[in-house]
Amino acid sequence: MKRDVMRKTLAMGLTIAVTMGLAACGSSTSSTAGTADSISATEKPAAAATSQADTAATSAAAAAASTVSAAPVTISYCNFNASGGNEETLNKMYEAFHKENPDITVNIETIGYDDYFTQMQTRVAGGTAPDCYELNIENFAAYSSKGVLAPITGVDTGNFNQTALQAFQVDGTQYGLPGDFSNVVLIYNKDLFDKAGVDYPTSDWTWDDALAAAKKIRALGDDYWGIYAPTTYNEFFKEAAQYGGSLLNEDKTEFTINSDNNLKAAEMMIGKVTDSHVQPSDTDLAGMGDSDLFESGRLGMDITGIWMFSTFKDACDFNWDCAVEPGGTQKATHFFSNALVINASADADKQAAAAKWINWLASSDESAKMRIAASWNLPAISNTDVLADYLKQTPPDNRQAVFDSLNYLVTPPIIEDYSQMSDIINEKLSEAASGKITPKDALDQAQQECQEKITLK
Amino acid sequence: MKTKKNNERISAALFMLPSFIGMIIFSLLPILISIFISLTDWNGLEKLSPATISKDFIGLRNYTDILSGTEFWNVLAHTLYFIVLYIPLVFIASLIIAEILFQARKGVGVLRVIYYIPVLTSWVAASLIWKWVLSPQYGAVNQILAAVGINGPNWLTDEIWAMPAIVLASVWKDMGFYGLFLLSGLNGIDNTYYEAARVDGANKAKIFFSITMPLLSPSLFFCLIMSLINAFQLFPQVMIMTEGGPNGATQVMVERIYTYGFKYFKMGYASAYSWLLFVIIFALTLLQLKGQKVWVHYES
Amino acid sequence: MSHKKALHTFFYYLLSVLVAVIVLIPFFWMISTSLKSKGAIMALPVQWIPKKPTLKAYKQVFTMFPFLRAILNSLFITVSYTLITILSSSMAAFAFTKIRFPFADKLFKVYLASMMIPTQVTLIPLFIIMNRLGLINTYPSVILPSLFKAFGIFMLVQQLRTIPNDFMEAARMDGAGLFKIYWKVIMPLCSSAIATLSITTFMDSWNDYLWPLVMLTDKSKMTLTLALNSLNGQYGTQYNVLMAGSLLSMLPIILVYIGAQRNFKHGMLEGGVKG
Repeated sequence: MKRDVMRKTLAMGLTIAVTMGLAACGSSTSSTAGTADSISATEKPAAAATSQADTAATSAAAAAASTVSAAPVTISYCNFNASGGNEETLNKMYEAFHKENPDITVNIETIGYDDYFTQMQTRVAGGTAPDCYELNIENFAAYSSKGVLAPITGVDTGNFNQTALQAFQVDGTQYGLPGDFSNVVLIYNKDLFDKAGVDYPTSDWTWDDALAAAKKIRALGDDYWGIYAPTTYNEFFKEAAQYGGSLLNEDKTEFTINSDNNLKAAEMMIGKVTDSHVQPSDTDLAGMGDSDLFESGRLGMDITGIWMFSTFKDACDFNWDCAVEPGGTQKATHFFSNALVINASADADKQAAAAKWINWLASSDESAKMRIAASWNLPAISNTDVLADYLKQTPPDNRQAVFDSLNYLVTPPIIEDYSQMSDIINEKLSEAASGKITPKDALDQAQQECQEKITLK
Repeated sequence: MKTKKNNERISAALFMLPSFIGMIIFSLLPILISIFISLTDWNGLEKLSPATISKDFIGLRNYTDILSGTEFWNVLAHTLYFIVLYIPLVFIASLIIAEILFQARKGVGVLRVIYYIPVLTSWVAASLIWKWVLSPQYGAVNQILAAVGINGPNWLTDEIWAMPAIVLASVWKDMGFYGLFLLSGLNGIDNTYYEAARVDGANKAKIFFSITMPLLSPSLFFCLIMSLINAFQLFPQVMIMTEGGPNGATQVMVERIYTYGFKYFKMGYASAYSWLLFVIIFALTLLQLKGQKVWVHYES
Repeated sequence: MSHKKALHTFFYYLLSVLVAVIVLIPFFWMISTSLKSKGAIMALPVQWIPKKPTLKAYKQVFTMFPFLRAILNSLFITVSYTLITILSSSMAAFAFTKIRFPFADKLFKVYLASMMIPTQVTLIPLFIIMNRLGLINTYPSVILPSLFKAFGIFMLVQQLRTIPNDFMEAARMDGAGLFKIYWKVIMPLCSSAIATLSITTFMDSWNDYLWPLVMLTDKSKMTLTLALNSLNGQYGTQYNVLMAGSLLSMLPIILVYIGAQRNFKHGMLEGGVKG
């Protein structure tokens, strides 16, 4: 009762505060969001549902009437992925799309990665989000649980790699399309392997094989390191899977961070640094990245993403190749993907056009070819013919390992407070890697902190 | 007489008008809205409207949560640690710069430009440069230390040295600014004071303490308030150089606010955090405004 | 006596050069890095002067974004921003210190207090307000916040307080109105502080990042700092490119500053109260 009064007072107070300045300055000038601000929160789901139905209807209608009678529509698309050198490729892709769909005009905006999400959050909360945009996995987890994304319907998603597609389903609803996709492989310095007299890694390697090789390379000299795999959350949830563990129970109602299988994974991961010391610690690395160490020819094996291929191709003056990353009791491999999503408060016709555009961008053979030609990550599609061009590029000779890895993909555990969970686990793992606490303590403490700070649904 | 007073009021209003309008729109209104947000568990994504705010209303729970946890107090301690190191250093450095420039010898024009270059650099660029300069193995600082036989620490990845490293970068960046501000204060001191003192036969130290310091005190006061406010709002250098690490050793207020608001989607919690920050800075500034009567000397 | 003087001069230059070296080392490092190829950055032993200097990083910066357009945008925004700040702040500071009006003290405290809320928190409310005003994606959206710069007002208030009221009274005796006193008497008297404020404001606006990022979505309106940020990819940083870009973004302000030095040499910067 009392709380109700409080609420009313509060709402009134805010209304006064907002209107005081805003109404006085003339409020009707705004373009996109002005009126939507007044839709109350309770009305919203209903509105979303209607627009969803509209979307299906419009896209069906659009398909039936083909391109002849469709009204021209202009949508906005925002991404960070093309920043840092691929903007031109993205423009070319759009030109091709526009030729096929002359009625759909896309305004593309490319923003640097670092502050992309601050800007996006501000725009979403301010009601001026672009019609479709790109999100990384952490932010996708949050956005999809807050009802700001529209379900993706009315397009054929058959061309996608289905595991990658499933990564962006929440409770069976597709809220995002895997825009592109990178996975992690074991990249190794052939010359160092020769020097140490060790056989090259194969796709059947386990962590024990990798460790044995790493020790021999480490023995080459103080400046040489055997292996590097990050001691981070991202690495951990994957290595946990390699030992049959996971961070959450199956229906995501409880944390299982300190399970026995997870501990085995953590001990392997941390032990490389603290016990056998075949992997440099942060202190040893002294501010340089593992890739820098690899490029300087002093790192035997680097567990890293395939996005490093083009960099290594330019920077390495020694022979190198790659293999499927080592496993534990079973294989499990990483994949990183960004989601292309649709703004739930965009108009129905824009949502339909947006679905068409992002689906084309992410899974059409044509855009996939352009993407591969530009060495700009990988399209998350299953059509291996298109991917053949990718295999032809060398180094590495064993590019096939990239596709072999796809057989063992694990997807990250999407929960609402994904970022906070990953920060907590990261912090504890880095404490363990610096030798301050044992891997067991790290997992116990992470488990406890996650339980305290995060409520699972 | 009365009309004169009225006239004065009208002109005062005219003189105040531009900044007042700006204050309402760009400061007061957003701040008021943020008070309301601090009483909710709004996630910073759903569209903000009075309805959202009343739906998400949770009273003072954000405040009690923050104050009863340990994190807030740790973060506050880190900030105080920064201040204790930063303020004396930046004051000494900027007084030295002001004095060098004030002597106006040959080459002073070049020096003035050089000392000001760090101020002209954006924090983003400066932090990146410093991160690079402080790299234990490749960085300039440890290379120089090694040359004189000192084994430099792992600055940014060492819990003990991370905060001093940030202080170092901040002093480097800010000393030119406060230095030039103090210089304009020194230039503003009327020469007749010095002449009178010399006639009285005062020595250099006496002139410094009985004339320079009191007459410079308004400038010093400004520098003190600004550097305190800036110290509490320490942000870009932390974000870029350490991201709050290692092991949370450089977690400070604004870094936390940003992380909660824009990374964990707890905008209500973040707003409450910033209101607590505001209360602290405000109290300290009031204290200084009161305290200035003791040591700050205005001419009129 | 002259021996003592020589010693004094020696220490003066020793100290000033020492400070200059400390200031410049990071920049030297920055320039040196920007001239290295990617491999040379991480080479051991460290190369203070790049063995094979290359302009590759600079070329990369120029091909990545429309540099000239971004510079023009930045200049337009920054110059307007600075002018408005100077006018609005000096007017307010004048009223606070030289005119008596009710609630002046309280208002000043409110102004001061507004400096103490970190911008990160007001970002979203402010965005919503700007949206309501229809200003998103326009130049005014990044220029208008200059109307209220508490920092500038506070700085000028501190400066104006050191100017004796005798000047005011003398001008009044001559029958000058308040506006004339503000423009002809007070402004010249605090020219030194205004010059400092201009440079600080210019630089703040030039380097501002978060606010333009949120407000300007149109590529043709992008400022230099925004353009520079697009050099940052999702996976890793190229230090040589970043350093080259940072250096290029700093050059215009350094040039402006040196220019200002020349012009103001005998007037504003050295100025102050000459009775």
